Amino acid sequence: MLRYGEPQVAIAVVFGVLAVTIAVATLVIAVHAKEDVPYDDVSRTGYRLRRPWLAFLCGLGVVAVGFSFFLLPYASGGGDTRTVKVSGGQFYWTIDPAVLPAHREVRFDVTSVDVNHGFGVYDPKGRLIGSVQAMPGYTNELELTFDDTGEYRIRCFEYCGLSHHNMVASFRVEER
Amino acid sequence: MEAHAAATVLHRDGTELLATARLSDRRVAWLFVCTGLALFCVMGLAGLAMRLSQAEVFTLSPSWFYRLMTLHGAGMLVGALLAMMGALWFVLRTTVPLHVGRMLASYLAIVGGAVLVVIAVLLGGFAAGWTFLWPLPFDSFGAWRPWAGDTFLVGMLLVGAGFFVFCLDLLMQTTAAYGGLQRALGISYLRNRDDSPPPPAAIAAMVVSIEGLLASAAGTTIVVALIGHAIDSGLELDALWAKNLTYFFGHSVANLIIYLAAGAVYVMLPGYTGRPWKTTKPIVVAWLFTLLFVATAYSHHLYMDFVQPEWAQGFSSIASFGAALPPAVVTIFTGVVLVWGSRYRWTLASTLLYLGFMGWAIGGTGAVIDSLIPINFKFHNTLWVPAHFHTYLLMGVIFWAFALFVRLLEESAGQTAREGVSAFALGALLVGGYGFVGAWYVSGALGIPRRWAVHPEGTAGYSLAASIFVIVFALGVLVLLLECLRLARVASVYRWDRVPASRAALPAVRDGEPLLTTGFQFAAVSAAAIVFLGSFAPSITDATLDSVRYHHLQHAAQFLVGLLVGAAFASTPAVFARIRRHPNVGVALVVAAPAVMLLVMLPSIYESMEGNDWVHLLYHLGMTALGVVTGLAAGTLGLVTGRLVLVLSIGMALMYAAGVTGG
Repeated sequence: MLRYGEPQVAIAVVFGVLAVTIAVATLVIAVHAKEDVPYDDVSRTGYRLRRPWLAFLCGLGVVAVGFSFFLLPYASGGGDTRTVKVSGGQFYWTIDPAVLPAHREVRFDVTSVDVNHGFGVYDPKGRLIGSVQAMPGYTNELELTFDDTGEYRIRCFEYCGLSHHNMVASFRVEER
Repeated sequence: MEAHAAATVLHRDGTELLATARLSDRRVAWLFVCTGLALFCVMGLAGLAMRLSQAEVFTLSPSWFYRLMTLHGAGMLVGALLAMMGALWFVLRTTVPLHVGRMLASYLAIVGGAVLVVIAVLLGGFAAGWTFLWPLPFDSFGAWRPWAGDTFLVGMLLVGAGFFVFCLDLLMQTTAAYGGLQRALGISYLRNRDDSPPPPAAIAAMVVSIEGLLASAAGTTIVVALIGHAIDSGLELDALWAKNLTYFFGHSVANLIIYLAAGAVYVMLPGYTGRPWKTTKPIVVAWLFTLLFVATAYSHHLYMDFVQPEWAQGFSSIASFGAALPPAVVTIFTGVVLVWGSRYRWTLASTLLYLGFMGWAIGGTGAVIDSLIPINFKFHNTLWVPAHFHTYLLMGVIFWAFALFVRLLEESAGQTAREGVSAFALGALLVGGYGFVGAWYVSGALGIPRRWAVHPEGTAGYSLAASIFVIVFALGVLVLLLECLRLARVASVYRWDRVPASRAALPAVRDGEPLLTTGFQFAAVSAAAIVFLGSFAPSITDATLDSVRYHHLQHAAQFLVGLLVGAAFASTPAVFARIRRHPNVGVALVVAAPAVMLLVMLPSIYESMEGNDWVHLLYHLGMTALGVVTGLAAGTLGLVTGRLVLVLSIGMALMYAAGVTGG
């Protein structure tokens, strides 16, 4: 069974609020569209509002994109990291080792022996942690630290052929 | 009576689109918009079948599910593209003398390509997805026959070629109509050197055409490389390179559909507001930023390919956010200013047009959220992705396509769609459409992967809800089409010429310029050609034989020699005077010659010649000859388009050399 991850719910709620705001704005503008207002008045007000609107969006962009750069999922390397070799093939995963320690950083070296695949990791409660692509000829390094013990499910996240949806696997995380 | 009829379907100060359209303009618009919407309806049914299967209402075999998925993706892309190409072409032709023959050639290539895709999928079982990511088309596990993959690729090549021709004509004619690149892009106006800037639709056309040529060049390169592998299985591609080119092509074309639509909306909206959409400096700046951001944002498709250089990921993140600013601050914002207090004329067409802005804004918001890398880590390739692009394509672009379709019918009939019927259709489209994409947003937050024939256990309910909403949406489309049929019957009473076709002559354009206009340019090109002649040196050939990449780089240099010689030759007064009269031949050759240059760069062809120095030299001279042909042909396209073609064709050779790794 899948479960909603907390970040995903928060993001979906933010999006939902924004979408409803846009819909309400669309409705309000539609109501005012029926009125007869001299265009000079509308354009004067509109252009006066445009600069702060641009400044707001630019500020939002700098904050959001800037903050996101501190949370990149890309491997930083170094440290006491346990390496796991992951290889995708039509339509299976090999994960070595398949039993991993909790509370310790693990680096997945993810590659593919044939076509592109996606290594999507779900925690024991069924919440999506994240994904990384498995690409032939390349190794993508994904660093994760697991706090929950139990069975983690893997689902393929890049379309790879007719049994793409059957390309599932798992590994265990245990206290050591 | 006609003035009264115009007032019925439009704002009292609005102008009928048909009034300024020639007969040929109308025919082209009907052809493209009807074909696009017909494809949309058929592919929509394929999409509904997939959702019902995921909802476990009935079971499609994985083979058929993924075949339909491939068909749906490629077909929808082609459908929306055709509809919006026709829309922009139609509204632009009052000010730019776009070429009917080239537009029809483009149509035939794209539709021909789509037919090949249908054959590959339905008869050959091809199911690698419309993204055809290397090497999946060739690793089917026996699911489809090799010819099916080859047919699909040739089909996509034709689609790319058709779009390339469309963009070539758009760029050639718009720059010719407005007197060069800077004037046509509005840069001269921005710098206070031009008092009469082009209309916003022309600036949009410039940006779309430049981006479209870039995207088509990248698409041609990757598709020809894949066809090369189909011919010579020893030819190997770099997977990261292939992914970059595939997504540069796919992302750009999907984005350009929206920008084609935006160009048409600039002309359509004033019909209902009675206020003209004029070119302003913010509009020019917005489109210049769009030019930059559309070309650089594509890398967000590779966020989860951690080997992609981090600077590219970072820049893509900035560009993806930045790409939202021009619509949010200029196009949508100005649309609001035009609508507010305008006594907006509400009809079925104008409401569809208005609601399309909402779809664009909501879908864009979903896209921007997903473009932040840490968020993409949680949402990449989940159902959040089809959720956001369906929001702006289905609830934005398709609404606009229907808006144009209905408007042309309303103008032809001299009456609007009936209010009650319109309200029902719009209600069904809104409830069905947003319910449908809403189910996907929720499913994406739940972490359901996209492109799965069978969803994870316990999640079929989301697909069932989505399917019900799709059926409601389809009902809305059906009612809308039935009302359109009624309007068409009324229009036929007037023999479709209630508004007489315009007999105005095509706008005049300035004479084209040769590629090289100064002695210095001739000297520089000649010097460069002499330098690159060094690529023929036997020592260079010997040194590159051990590396496919370097050997192909040598071929690129030899092609460049020909390109420079051809360009110089084409710019001499005597030659230019002759070739300038044959731009159609030029268009055909600049499409074909670079593709042939890539296609013959097959180790199985040139390796067999390496034993004989003279034969090998002849092959290398052939590369140069193809360059000469491309250079000469580019000379017929005018200074701006011709030079861009020169850059793109050598760019294709270099891209190919960079990514083809083995033979």
